[in-house]
Amino acid sequence: MFETFIRDGLLFPQSLIESRFFVILATLVALNTTVYAALAIAKLVPKFVKPSWYRRGRTRSETRSIFPDADV
Amino acid sequence: MYRRLVGLLVLAIAIIGFGIFWWTLTTTDTAVTTPPTEGFLFTTWPMFYSWQAPPLFAIIAAVTISLTVAFVFVGLEIRDINLSRRSHNSNTKPLAPWVLMDQTRGVFQGPVTITVVVPAHNEEDVIGATLDELLAQSRKPDHVIVIADNCTDRTIEIARERGVEVRESVNNQQKKAGALNQVLATLIHTAGANDTFMIMDADTRLKQGFLEAADKHFTDDRGLSAIGGLFYGEEGGGYIGLLQRNEYTRYQRDIRRRRGRVFVLTGTASIFRAPALQAVASLRGTAIPGVAGSVYDTAALTEDNEITIALKTLGALMTSPDECKVETELMPTWKMLWRQRLRWQRGALENIAAYGVNSTTTRYWSQQLGIAYSVFALWTFFLLIFLQVFASDVWIWYPFWLLVGAVFILERVVSVWSGGWAARALAATLIPELLYDTYLDIIFLKGALDIAFKRQAQWGHEQPGDRVTVASSEVGPAQAHPATHKNTSNHHKNNSHAHSKHKSHSKGHK
Repeated sequence: MFETFIRDGLLFPQSLIESRFFVILATLVALNTTVYAALAIAKLVPKFVKPSWYRRGRTRSETRSIFPDADV
Repeated sequence: MYRRLVGLLVLAIAIIGFGIFWWTLTTTDTAVTTPPTEGFLFTTWPMFYSWQAPPLFAIIAAVTISLTVAFVFVGLEIRDINLSRRSHNSNTKPLAPWVLMDQTRGVFQGPVTITVVVPAHNEEDVIGATLDELLAQSRKPDHVIVIADNCTDRTIEIARERGVEVRESVNNQQKKAGALNQVLATLIHTAGANDTFMIMDADTRLKQGFLEAADKHFTDDRGLSAIGGLFYGEEGGGYIGLLQRNEYTRYQRDIRRRRGRVFVLTGTASIFRAPALQAVASLRGTAIPGVAGSVYDTAALTEDNEITIALKTLGALMTSPDECKVETELMPTWKMLWRQRLRWQRGALENIAAYGVNSTTTRYWSQQLGIAYSVFALWTFFLLIFLQVFASDVWIWYPFWLLVGAVFILERVVSVWSGGWAARALAATLIPELLYDTYLDIIFLKGALDIAFKRQAQWGHEQPGDRVTVASSEVGPAQAHPATHKNTSNHHKNNSHAHSKHKSHSKGHK
């Protein structure tokens, strides 16, 4: 009697946790959580911006300004 | 060709993911589970913990796959943008920056002008303040037109008191988009290459400097087609207000990290170069959906999202500069939030369905699929925790999952850092935002189901009885006029929304 009480949770028997269904669910959630953790880290790290010395000397071929004689 | 490529790519990713999942499953089944260790917290309280964690290869596989998928979709979006940026083809990409520049090379087309068009339907509560703030901008608008759409209150009178032009819509049955179409049709045909039109809601508060920055961007770049406002949530609104504000704060951060690449030209305030609107109006019914001659597609629930996709399809260059901020109203009740989001959600899905899968819409599709998957992920997570709590006799702590939980908390807090201490505190507690995400998930499913079963679209108008003073743009069905379409949402947030799903695992996996 006491043994059964110890082995069970509040609503479901402890054996549920050892079932194949639960193992699959837990694995799925573990994988998903890892996936979202990776995405969370990707969103945490500062955005990499190429330093100006790295960018090739890109000068525009013409001005983009609405004024034709503006600086390029 | 390209379309098939994307389809195959997605399929391949799905198959690889499924394969690795299955492989992990079969190995986990036979894996030795370490029994939990009993320890004592502060030498007094007994507790169980387990160092159990997923096998390293599973972690590496999950991380690799998720980041690859994310990079592929971002890469496809950037590729599409770059194709437009480099195109000189005025047939396929009539709004590509080079095409516009080819048309104006060497000839000054006149200075940038800004005509502000404000559609209004019974907006007497807010129109005065909106116009006052608009007229107080450091760079004044050249012309302001209020479109009075079936107004029965003092909107017209209040607008005239401010000295702005008022035009009334004529027999308009097509809500905000219809009213805008009537007036824009008379304006755009005579407009020049540097004339711009700003469409803004009657309850939008522009941040000082918005027009000045917009003018500068349009002046410096004659290839630029549109500028979208970056919206942030107004102050107040209590708890539900803070939750929404955090969403908007994360959206702003996303856009900054995207270096201004636009998801949606918000209906609250966005500015278009005349040639862009002319091209959209003339190509509707052929290159893009809609009725020829109309700037806005009146069939779209979220017409601002629709016109964004239309412009992207035509190759337009657009941006959301950091200086162009607008304050947006927040939904004061859960019921109003439900209606607003259901409309956004349905609108977003209908918009991409209207355009199909192509290089421009890939990113939008991926966002929708991303939310769909995140619903599945979050809810299986809840199910697992629920079963574990109610089926185990002891509570076991898993340090590995606690660490993962800490990463989620960190991401949540950092992403709303600019929102202040209240925003950070809310993010740090995790659970309220998780429940908020769950609420949005339910709306997402409802929207998807409605579309699947072809239920009539609801315009998401709050009943007048629901209203709190602030929300005067969302009107009752009797008035049937969706004045507030700051739509964006689905997309943008989705990103943060989808990625932020699973938070902590204080309790772990067997």
